[in-house]
Amino acid sequence: MLLSFKPARLAALFVAPILALSACGSGTNADGTTTCNGLPDQPTLSFAAYSTPREAYGKIISAFKSKWKDEHNDQEVIFQESYDGSTLQASRVVSGYEADVVALSLGPDVDQIADAGLITHDWTKEADGGMVTTSVVVFDVRPGNPLGIKDWNDLAKPGVEVLTPDPASSGGARWNLVSAWGSALRGYGGVTRGDEAGATTLMQGVLGNVLAYDSSARKSIQNFEDGNGDVAITYENEVITAQAAGKEDEAVYPPSSVLIENPVTVVDKNVDKHCVREVAEAFVEYLHGDEAKQIFADAGYRSTDLATAQKGGGDFPAIEDLWDVDEFGGWDALTTKLFSDTGIVTQAQAG
Amino acid sequence: MSDAAQTLSGRSTARWAPHRTAAVLRHLGLRGAAIVYLGAMVAVPVAAIVTNGFGDGLTSFRTALAIPYAWTAIRLTLITSAAATVINAVMGTLIAWILVRYRFPGRRVLSSVVDLPMAIPTLVTGLMILTLYGPNAPIGKFLDRFGIQVAFTWVGILLALCVVTLPLVVRQVQPVLLELDPAEEEAAATLGAGAWLSFRKVVLPAVRPAIVGGALLTFARCIGEFGSVVLVSGNIAGKTLTAPVFIYQLANQFRSAEAAAIATLMFTISFVLVLVTARVTRRVEV
Amino acid sequence: MSATEAVTPSTGAAGGRSRLARGALAAAAIFYVALLLLLPLIGIVTKAFQPGVSIIGDTLSRPDVQHAFLLTGIITVITVVVTTFFGLVVAWVLVRQRFFGRSLMNAVVDLPFALSPVTVGLAAILLFGTGGWFTDFVTARGIQVLFALPSMVLVTIFICIPFTIREVVPVLEEFGLDEEDASRTLGASIWQTFRRVTLPNIRWALLYGVALSTARSIGEIGAVLIVSGTISGKTETATIYIFSGLEERLEAQAHVVALVLATVSIVLLIGIEWLHRRNELARSNT
Repeated sequence: MLLSFKPARLAALFVAPILALSACGSGTNADGTTTCNGLPDQPTLSFAAYSTPREAYGKIISAFKSKWKDEHNDQEVIFQESYDGSTLQASRVVSGYEADVVALSLGPDVDQIADAGLITHDWTKEADGGMVTTSVVVFDVRPGNPLGIKDWNDLAKPGVEVLTPDPASSGGARWNLVSAWGSALRGYGGVTRGDEAGATTLMQGVLGNVLAYDSSARKSIQNFEDGNGDVAITYENEVITAQAAGKEDEAVYPPSSVLIENPVTVVDKNVDKHCVREVAEAFVEYLHGDEAKQIFADAGYRSTDLATAQKGGGDFPAIEDLWDVDEFGGWDALTTKLFSDTGIVTQAQAG
Repeated sequence: MSDAAQTLSGRSTARWAPHRTAAVLRHLGLRGAAIVYLGAMVAVPVAAIVTNGFGDGLTSFRTALAIPYAWTAIRLTLITSAAATVINAVMGTLIAWILVRYRFPGRRVLSSVVDLPMAIPTLVTGLMILTLYGPNAPIGKFLDRFGIQVAFTWVGILLALCVVTLPLVVRQVQPVLLELDPAEEEAAATLGAGAWLSFRKVVLPAVRPAIVGGALLTFARCIGEFGSVVLVSGNIAGKTLTAPVFIYQLANQFRSAEAAAIATLMFTISFVLVLVTARVTRRVEV
Repeated sequence: MSATEAVTPSTGAAGGRSRLARGALAAAAIFYVALLLLLPLIGIVTKAFQPGVSIIGDTLSRPDVQHAFLLTGIITVITVVVTTFFGLVVAWVLVRQRFFGRSLMNAVVDLPFALSPVTVGLAAILLFGTGGWFTDFVTARGIQVLFALPSMVLVTIFICIPFTIREVVPVLEEFGLDEEDASRTLGASIWQTFRRVTLPNIRWALLYGVALSTARSIGEIGAVLIVSGTISGKTETATIYIFSGLEERLEAQAHVVALVLATVSIVLLIGIEWLHRRNELARSNT
């Protein structure tokens, strides 16, 4: 098949600008690795986070940029931010989205990226175990709590419409359901302590009442705010953010909750490719610092120290029973139990 | 084309010989370019969808359709699309009729407004509908008093589909009406036929192919509509989740095989329709 | 002869009744269009200005908004250039050449109309995502396709492919062959013939196709949403900005951007209408 010159030439003409616009600077070696000559003049940091902390990170990123500018001769760092369901973001990073820093909802999503070979250091060995914020699971109810919701068994009552995100795409969803399971096993929500069958029935009851599984925690709470459903299971910080935005969301705290811990780490392969490791690591370090902690606290996040988180203080109510995933064998055991193909949640969603 | 040129030049065919080779090369070159362009840009992506949909035979299909609200989503899509098609077939013909046959101030403006959905982003259309028919919006609140909810229900979906496909039937019917000879209708009138009878017996048969063609285009468009529906429907699985939004959710979660299975199903339906439309409308454009 | 005159009895009781009927029909049509399009259009203008006029300047001065418009512009320009150029090639090949597989090529051109935009985005993931057909090829060359500009351009091109072709083909079919042959026999080169003879004939159809493609590219949401990753300041088009903005509790900004797009669409629409009329005129005059 002979190709006349004109189409081929024009094809090349339009491919070239596309490639140019998509390529990033720095020298690429023949084997694909990059040799970095220090930071680029205007370093660009690609930041992928889960759906809910965008307001908090908006402020933190501004603060970090000013600090960096002061300390590095007026150098401007550009942030390219993306916010969506935690698992969605992890899948995207694995599929080629070259994020330099990831701030996800739970450890397993970071592990997914590490398993793909993109994170080569042990992120759990960083400050605070790699976590930057914590939160608890709450029920977002209509003003005045018309249905008198107090605990998980109230969500399983017939006729109650529940909103929760989809565990396949949202980290928040998995926190919600782990909290339900764990609370039940610890003797709350009308279930006897240690009664797995009872806990299973409770889960099935709650899941049977789910009106819609939105793809991210933020989408779920907005669905609720649009007037759908009677109660939305969500992060405490999401309700606080909504209230700060003038919405009518009202939080009801179940007595027992899992300690939601949100990790942040640098994606080694990408920072080395983009030659921005210095900025990326500085940013992650900043997130563990006092300034960032204050901004997070103001935005509705709790301390990374469990005891402090449980006590609360100020606008944060004390939690009667606060526990972390290790109480039930960590994420591996919980994922098998709840979210695998034979898991309780998966079965309930299919049925 | 090169044949005609050769015939016209008569005994000078010999003189064209070196040019003939170049002409043939160009000929094939253009065809090659067209094939590569369409092959790479259209055939390959479609092949990717179909092969992934049928990758492990019907397994992906069954897995996708086993998801509890998959069938509901497909059914909802087909029913709302059919309803929107019927509504716009009727209203589209009516609008085409008054645009062609009536004279009134603002006729040109109406004609342009009708074409607006061809130019405006579907997402903006969805937003427009929400600002008027949403739960806290003027008409939305008014209708709520009668228990009619538009946003986040099938009503909203139907409304969005009607808006987005409004011009399709109009633009098919309008040219046909323009070319219709009024002599027949005048004859019917002199013989005592009322306007409606005259319309049914004289006009309708002539525009029927155009209406059908427009309706098929409308239906094909409706079952794939995303931008307006995703905002207006609320995407509640099992209630207002449509097939395109469902595919979007699956694709977003990288559940590609299942997404491809549903996509192949919907695409087959609309492709068949588009092909039929092409035959029908080509017959009209005499 | 076009029937632009009102064809109804104009005398007596029948006239009065038919005038009433005519009025009712016209009112119904206008009411339908108003409810579906005019009112929502007003709605979005009102909603956008709700926080006060300053919101316009405030929104348009945000760097992520500016980048969103820029990105939409870049994608649109590339798409229109590619689809117009190659569309011409394909149209030419379809009309002026006879070959085995011509009707297949014809059908392939119609394919993009049969696919929901979300399916197109899915195809991009199947081709360039994990385990995709071309993934190894592009990664080895260090090219990022998904979650970057290339994939967004590719899906938009796919969606806009039929516009130019479908507008130019009927015009090429109807006229020009004799003139082109005459031109060639008189010794003009291929390029000269194309520029002097063919191009003037298809000029309005071509521009009409360009206008339609432009509107479609600007409005694209389903496909680009899947492939973009919604990275603010990098892969957010204007439409994606609206979509994310509604999620980010930046509703006011989202409505302003929507209003800008609506305005651009209306301007484009005026162009489309004018070009459409010129196209129809040119086709009926020759």
